[in-house]
Parts: sequence; structure tokens; C-alpha cells
Amino acid sequence: MTKFRFIFIGFMLTFLSSWVGLVLMPVWGLGNFKQTADPKTGEMIPPTLSSLEEEGRSVYIANGCIYCHSQQVHPARVRTDIARGWGERRTVARDYMNQEVVQMGTMRTGPDLSNIGVRNPSETWHLLHLYDPQITSKGSNMPPFPFLFETRKKDPENPAPNALNLPPGFGPGDEFEVIPSEEMVALVAYLQSLKLSSYEIPEAPAARIESFAE
Amino acid sequence: MIIAASIVLVIMLLGSVATIFAFSWAATHQQFENLDKAAESIFDADEPIGSATDAFLTATHES
Amino acid sequence: MNPEKAPASDPGAIEESRLQRLEIDLAARWPVGIFIGSSLVWLILGSLLAIAASIKLHDPAFLSENPWLTFGRVRPAHLNIVAYGWLSTAGIGIGLWILSRLCRAPIRDNRSLTLAAVLWNMGNAVGSWGILRGDSTAVEWLEYPTYAAPFLLVSFAFVMLESVGLIRRRPPGHIYISQWYIMAAFFWFPCLYFTAHGLLVLAPVQAPAQPPINWWFAHNALGLWFTPIGLGAAYYLIPKIIGRPIHSYYLSVIGFWSLAFFYAWNGMHHLIGGPFPAWLITASVVASIMMFIPVITVAINHHFTMVGHFKKTISSPALRFVVFGAMCYTLASFQGSTMAIRSLNGITHFTHYTIAHAHLGAYGFASMVFFGSIYYIMPRLLEREWPSRFLIRVHFWSCAIGFICYFVFLSWGGILQGLEMNQKETPFLEIVALTMPYLKLRTVSGSLMTLGHLAFFVSFFWMIASHRASIGEPTLFTKRIPDPDPIP
Repeated sequence: MTKFRFIFIGFMLTFLSSWVGLVLMPVWGLGNFKQTADPKTGEMIPPTLSSLEEEGRSVYIANGCIYCHSQQVHPARVRTDIARGWGERRTVARDYMNQEVVQMGTMRTGPDLSNIGVRNPSETWHLLHLYDPQITSKGSNMPPFPFLFETRKKDPENPAPNALNLPPGFGPGDEFEVIPSEEMVALVAYLQSLKLSSYEIPEAPAARIESFAE
Repeated sequence: MIIAASIVLVIMLLGSVATIFAFSWAATHQQFENLDKAAESIFDADEPIGSATDAFLTATHES
Repeated sequence: MNPEKAPASDPGAIEESRLQRLEIDLAARWPVGIFIGSSLVWLILGSLLAIAASIKLHDPAFLSENPWLTFGRVRPAHLNIVAYGWLSTAGIGIGLWILSRLCRAPIRDNRSLTLAAVLWNMGNAVGSWGILRGDSTAVEWLEYPTYAAPFLLVSFAFVMLESVGLIRRRPPGHIYISQWYIMAAFFWFPCLYFTAHGLLVLAPVQAPAQPPINWWFAHNALGLWFTPIGLGAAYYLIPKIIGRPIHSYYLSVIGFWSLAFFYAWNGMHHLIGGPFPAWLITASVVASIMMFIPVITVAINHHFTMVGHFKKTISSPALRFVVFGAMCYTLASFQGSTMAIRSLNGITHFTHYTIAHAHLGAYGFASMVFFGSIYYIMPRLLEREWPSRFLIRVHFWSCAIGFICYFVFLSWGGILQGLEMNQKETPFLEIVALTMPYLKLRTVSGSLMTLGHLAFFVSFFWMIASHRASIGEPTLFTKRIPDPDPIP
């Protein structure tokens, strides 16, 4: 048993070293941010989400948007994120402090969403895109989310004010109307709130767009 | 983060020292002898070194 | 009995060691069998979900009306099922059997291990149902909701108890390298899972600290859970099957300690370029490059042990799968080290290339080694032979060819994707369009792999169901000693 004891101590120590470096250190160094006031506007940054936007975040989480979309803007010397208009500066750790479960993501089957609320503020665009991505983005491989909408028979006297205005060829037909569900409204609100690097912070002033791989 | 980095550095140094001690302990306590015996320990009288333990009998069969 | 002392030619010693081995295999029949059998069910489920997810990426309208089957749920369900339902379950069974063999002690507590298997399967069932239902935690590699965790943790406690019992009952003398790897894996996994689930799901730390912990967990699930079991299996089965000891035991000890230390620090290479302190990322990049050390020791060891004996892969399916897997381990690890280099990472991060790499490790290495292990273990547990050479052939060739195609096509598509993403003028939808043919080829390759899994599944349960002890000519035993007093 004695020899095993040493092997055991050895491999638990190596494990512990990684725990200290990659778990404990991040918690100490990255786990204690506090909101500060934006010197220009006086508002707290990063902004706290409204309860509708928080609900939207749960819809985002429940439907696994993270598996295709990242939420991190990389510096200009690393990637073309800024050049593509995905953000005015890189995102930094503090930008994420108000998220309960961070959705930073590791895949870009679809574009980065850190600042989609700045890039695509239109509610209508998001509703159409989420109902069927082919409407706004032909050739996209993003799935449609018809189950986050209600389809019901249209009453011509009394059409729903928030029914989607679907182009020809999409949707269930003229007799029906498609109405976003509560979850969809929340999701769009959340997407519109995504402006992770839209305010200036001292750690990362707005990047000069340097030439990248030119 | 400088404090964090220094703590990591200290831990790394301590870890390196411990590793060096462990190796020298192992060397002086003959942990590195008989390593070939350890490699042979998976065999026994019924499945000794030299006898394959898993084969289609007719090896010319394509499987 | 101390096997090193017994002279090989002594018939009494031969009989004694044979009976001891039979006793061990018989005691393992039910507990190991149930873990391995369950793992195959999850393998099929995981493969079907994989095909669905793959189709959705080039045919996004496929099965999109139902929220339970939306890509964002099917994909994590696939990942968790193959990780915790297929690989982990098979890994537990294989690990327990190898420990039992090497500790020369029969597994004792059938009841608690049966309960452990039931609980483990329930945890996976409840967890994967939870993901499809919409309760995913959306923490990568940890998507099972909290209500699944108690099943997994209690189950694993029983597994650990039995493992410690086996180690304590081992004869004095050497502890073979496979025992080191498997015991380490069995201790590392609950520490990983418990920490990560606690700090990311139950009582989440503040968001900016979550990704390091997330990827410390996820990478170590590969490096400190699947890999050591796979290596432990390869280190036992390769020499055991060909009848030669491992080339250099000294190298294997170096390999173990360098893996234990460096692998654990790799995780941050998933976050290169992200909003994290440079020292954190650099530590992982360095550790990722240092992985060359353990990987080269393993490669040298396996290669020089096999040299002159590669022909045996024709006659032993178990060896064939294990050697394929071991080679993929070397390739996957070398590839992984290169992917941690910042300039290369600039191309491959966020692309399908990463997915292909993940499959080289989790499938090309771990799954193939586990397939081989199962081919070796099951006839010895059941004292029956695999019923059909044809099914074994279908299994191997479908999986080998299917996987090589999967890896080549998806990697190539990923590189193109990455290169174009770094061209700021290329519109995003154009990048999507250029990946399409590779995504379709991935579906075809994956379907071929699934065909192999189905052949294996049929083969396995046919063997369980058949009561024939032998079919004339042994397929997997080199000799059958007629036993006048068979063990009941």
C-alpha cells in the first residue's frame, strides 16, 4: 500500500497545482468586479439587464445559441473581429460581469454576437431572422425557430398588431398570422441588449483599426 | 493580477523543489531498479511472455 | 500468488494462474458487463443524435419544428451522451476489469456496482432528457442539469470504493503503469466534475472567471479522464495480446508524471485571444507544447513494443482497434500542441477544425481503444466468442474509413473557414457557403461510422443472447484447455 500512497499523493498534487492555477487564480483575479459609473453618461457600466432581457438570456441558454455564436471581440492584431464591425474594441473581462452564466462561446458557425444590439438594433429584423433565417440571410445554416412563435388563423377584421410581415414564399400562408411568443419577445430584447464593448473603458480604449494580415 | 502571478510563481518554485526531492528520494530508494520486472508483471504462468493471447486461429483469414 | 516467482513450465503454477484469472473474469462478468452493455446503448443514441446534428448544419430546416430537436439542444445532447453515456460508462467497466486483473483480486461487491451502473445510466438518461427539454446549463461539456449530478456522483462513489478495495487487496510487488493511470483517472474525474459543477452551475462564480474553470474542466475530462483510461488499456492490452512486455517501463513512468502535470494545465488554450490575463493563456500554451514529452514517450513505447508484431493486428481485432487508437492518440496530441501556438490558433479557433480535432481524440483515440478493449474483455467474461467475424470486419472498416474521412473533410473545411474568416472582406454568408460541401461529407462519414456502431451493437447483444460456449474453432482464444472441473 505504501507505494500506492506516494503515487496517489503525487498525482493529487499535480492536479492541485492546476486547480490553483486555473481555478483559484481566476476566481481571485476575475471574480470580483464591481460596476463603475461611465464618466461620459453617468450610467453604470456594464449595464444591468432588465428582467425581460434576463428572460431572453434564459431562452438563449435553453436553445443552445452558444454552440454557433461566440460573444467575445478579439483584438485587431489577433483577428478581423473589429474590422468586420463586430465591435469597436476588444471585449475585456469586466464586460461580462453581469452575466449569470457567461455565454462567451467557442464556435463561429455564425457571427459573433457581442455587439449585435449595436449592429442590428431592429426588432423586426431579429423576429424575421429567428422565424426563418432564410428570410434575411439566404444560405445561412442557422435553424429556424418556428416553435417560438404562435401561428393562428387571421381574423381579417382584427389582425394582430404584432404579427410578422412575412415575404412571399415564407410562412403558413395568408390565412394565418405568425405572432412572436413571450419567449421570442424576451430573446429579441436580450439580443438588442448585447452591446458588450460599446462603452469605453480604460483597459481597452477604442481600437485603432490596424492593418490585419495585409 | 501581480499578486496572483506571484503566488503562482511561488507555487511553481515549491512544486519544482518538491519534484526534485521526490526524484532523489526515488533514486536513493531503488524505485528505478527492476523496472523491467514491472513490465513483466502483467504476465503469469498461464499467459507467459511469448504467447499471444488473442487471435483468430487461422491467421491467414482476412478479418 | 506472486506471478513473477512461478516458473513458467510448472504445470501446477500454470493451472493456478489460469484458475485465478478465470475467477477474476467470472467475478467481473456482471458488473463490468453491465457497464459495457449500457455504454453501447448510449453509443447508438449518441451516434443518431450526431447524424441529426450534422444534417442540421447543412440542412437547417431538418427536424426544426420541435423545440426538443433544435440544433442548440441536439448538439449538446450528443456531446454529453457520447462523453458520459458511451465513453465514461465503457471507461468505468474497462477500468474496473483491468484493475481487477492487475490487482489479481476478483471484484467483490456486485450489488453496489450494479446499483452504480443503474444510477450512472439514470444520471445520463435524466441529464440528456433535461438538455432536450431546455434545461441545459449551457456550460460546455457540463450541460447536464443539476438534477442529474447526484445520480452520477453517488454512482461514482461506489465505483471508487470498489477500486480502492481492489488496490488494497493487490499482492505485494509492482504496481503496473495501467493501474497508476486508471486509479488516477478514477480520482481525478470526481474532483473535476464536483469543482466545475459547483463553481459553474450550482453557485456560479462571477462570469469573467467562469470560462477558465469551464475549460479547465472540459479539457481535463479529455486529458485526465478519458486519456488515462485509454492509455491504461493500451499499456495493458498491447503487450498482453502480443505476448511481449512493454518496450521501456522507465519511459512509461516518465510519461505518466509528465502527463499528470502538463495535461492538467492545458485548458486555457481554448481561450486564446479572449478576455483573459496573458499569463493564464501563456501557461496553457506552454503546457500544451510540453505535452510532446508524454506523448512521445507513449508513441515510442507502443511503437517499439509493436515492432515486428504488426501482423498480429490481422488476427486480433482487439489489437487492431487498440493500435489504431494509440496512433490516433499520438496524432491528436501532436495536432493539439500545434493548435495552441498563437499564430496557428488564429486560423483554427472558432472553426470546424477544432471539432475535427476533438473527434480525433475522443473518437479516433478513446473510442477505438475502448472498442478494442471490449473485444478482448467480453469473451473472457462470458466464456463465449464473438458470434460473427463479418460483423467485426464491418465494425472496424466502417469506423476506421468513416472516421478518417470525417477527420480529413471536416479539418479541411475548417481550415478554409478559418482562413476566410481572417479576410475581413469575405462576407460571412460566403464563409458559410464554402463549408457546406465539407459539412455534407461529414454527414456521410458519420453515417458510415454509425453503421459500424450498429454492427458492434448487434454483435454484442447477439453474443450475450447466444448460449453457445464455443463455435468449433475459437475466434479469440489461442487455445481452449479442456476443463474437467469447470467453474460453475
